[in-house]
Amino acid sequence: MHDLDIQHKPHRHTGKEALPSDPLKQRVVLVGNPNVGKSVVFNYLSGLYVDVSNFPGTTIEIAKATYLHYELYDTPGIYGVSSFNDEERVARDIILNADIVINVVDAVHLERDLFLTQQLIDMGKRVGVVVNMLDEAKKRKIAVDLEMLELELGVPVIGTVAIRRDGLEKIHELVVNAREGKQQKELHAELHNMLSTLGSQAEALLVLEGDQIVADRHGVAHVHASKREEIYIDRRNRVNRLLDRVLVDVQVGKRFSSTLGRLAVSPLFGFPILALVLYVLYLFVGVFVAQDVVDISEDVIGKGIVEFHIKQFVASRAATTVRISLIEEDGQVSDSRAEFFPEGLERNPSLWNELRDWAESGDAEYEFEYSSPWLILFFGEFGAVTMTLTYLVFLLLPLVLGFYFALSMLEDSGYLPRLATLVDRVLRIIGLNGRAVIPLILGFGCVTMATITTRLLGTQREKTIATTILQLAIPCSAQLGVIAALLATAGATATLIYVCVITAFLVLVGTVLNSKLPGETSPLLIDLPAMRFPQMNNVVKKTLFKSWFFMKEASPWFFIGALLVSVLQVTGALRHIMDALAPIVVGWLQLPREAATAFVMGLVRRDFGAAGLYDLSLSPYQTVAALVTITLFVPCVASLMVMFKERGLREGMYIWFGSLLLALTVGGIVSQILL
Amino acid sequence: MTLGDLRKGGNALIQDLPEGEFRSQFIRLGLVKGASVRCLHRLPGGTIVLEFSRQEIALSGELASTILVTIP
Repeated sequence: MHDLDIQHKPHRHTGKEALPSDPLKQRVVLVGNPNVGKSVVFNYLSGLYVDVSNFPGTTIEIAKATYLHYELYDTPGIYGVSSFNDEERVARDIILNADIVINVVDAVHLERDLFLTQQLIDMGKRVGVVVNMLDEAKKRKIAVDLEMLELELGVPVIGTVAIRRDGLEKIHELVVNAREGKQQKELHAELHNMLSTLGSQAEALLVLEGDQIVADRHGVAHVHASKREEIYIDRRNRVNRLLDRVLVDVQVGKRFSSTLGRLAVSPLFGFPILALVLYVLYLFVGVFVAQDVVDISEDVIGKGIVEFHIKQFVASRAATTVRISLIEEDGQVSDSRAEFFPEGLERNPSLWNELRDWAESGDAEYEFEYSSPWLILFFGEFGAVTMTLTYLVFLLLPLVLGFYFALSMLEDSGYLPRLATLVDRVLRIIGLNGRAVIPLILGFGCVTMATITTRLLGTQREKTIATTILQLAIPCSAQLGVIAALLATAGATATLIYVCVITAFLVLVGTVLNSKLPGETSPLLIDLPAMRFPQMNNVVKKTLFKSWFFMKEASPWFFIGALLVSVLQVTGALRHIMDALAPIVVGWLQLPREAATAFVMGLVRRDFGAAGLYDLSLSPYQTVAALVTITLFVPCVASLMVMFKERGLREGMYIWFGSLLLALTVGGIVSQILL
Repeated sequence: MTLGDLRKGGNALIQDLPEGEFRSQFIRLGLVKGASVRCLHRLPGGTIVLEFSRQEIALSGELASTILVTIP
């Protein structure tokens, strides 16, 4: 390798300072293919405090932390550095700004992973390589000559089993010793000649490989894509030759994938396994968490204890009417009393105590009606503070934890890509591909959460389709419980009609959007990692991490939504809206007037909507019409806000008004036909 | 014939990759001219599960039918 005549000063070139950071600290960036164990390494190095933020201009999340005196960055899993999709674009820019690149590779799949390694070296970056998953390699009788690899690549190499923390202690040395590796002479010379127009060797290589965006940043004309192919094939061949010297394959041609992994994606067993997995998912999240856990957390702890004490505290210092109802076992009110405290409970302790004693005689429900509208706004029936708190912490949080736990298990076990493969064809009908299965499943948990997750999808088009379907046709768990109960009362025919209408609508919307929106859904090309038993500490960490991230993102929206509704209620506007809606509800949908209330309340909290219908004793067909309307109409105010945030105001408005129109139209048609 | 025509259990050698954005992704994964692949499964709808050099990937039928192969 010839010496470089030009002094390489570390400098940053993204056209915009994309990553605000300390200019004195060196940047260490973790790079690797998906599923190589990169995040385990990141977690090991980063410790407890990790900052996750969106890469500016994208919805890709990047994790940043401090490692000793370095700034540590994680990048999305990529197969190569270029601009094929959002993940690659983000990774590309982070890598361009990196001082040191730690490349994590999978010992079992070196022939695939080393392509990226070689590219990073060709970019002239200081690289250190972590060959992970040595335990898996050993199981499959693959021996990797790490020293030879180091010699061939020209960069330091260590071997690890990151899950067991074996070898990770050598990382510090790796970071310190990271250096430029062996580069192909002609390529290197060519890149050097380009340095006068382009800032760094790395950018020169990217431009040579056809990266239009990097070329534009320096005003360089577009390089014909065939150069990329030439470089790629040459790189491929170099890696193959290298592998011959580095890999010792004791048993060639052996079957390397586990039986389970094979079966899980086979046409015969794959679908039954899928059905089983979905059923277990339903049992865990839909029954255990959504019903059993939430019953305790929301009613007993949330409303019974936390809300009660907050409201009582407020009532103790402000003019309040306290209304207590004694509830019989069957839910009927047997007796009630109301007392007015002009200066709050504190000023009249004897009356308050008397009331409390009376309430002890049965199962009591307390209502605190404040005189001040401001207090009602924040602590009243739809009090922004109390309602948001209960909803977020005692209803949503358990659900979110449950869902993300299930998702992390699926991910860690390696099953998720297989799931995506199986459902790909079906999802294609509605214009999505296998990857969309994640947001769609999460939608049954919380549509707000799922809408945020649509960031995962590859193209804007897919995000739009997925978001629309989520908002329109997928009922969230808060609703599902009540819907199921209502349908149970309504009977089998009603249930069938309901399911058919919703499904048909879902397919219709997806198909229409698929044909109307420009572009095409990206075809499936997915790597199926080996299946293995999920590592619990990995799963728990991911669950907590993702749940925390969601709560952080979504909470403000729930609060704002609750505040909005509270304002509408206090000003009486809510009542006006319901009155305005009433004629349509009665005339077109052929439902009792009170259903209008239920629909509007559904916007506040989805379960309020469905629950409101409960009290109306509707006929089976009326139930279908009502449920169709409520399911099709956009879900709660929080998901509405998140939708505006993710899709933008204009698109959000289209979806919202569209769904309102469609919900009323379809609901009405169903009603007119059936009744 | 194309990869999309490969039967379950069948072996093939990649002969030609399609032009376009996926070409580079194939090369990266190691699906290059001359590479030996084996079809593990065919799913209803055309999706194919392939095995080659210790990896397993799944790709949609339409993508598979753009890749020319020969039978060894």
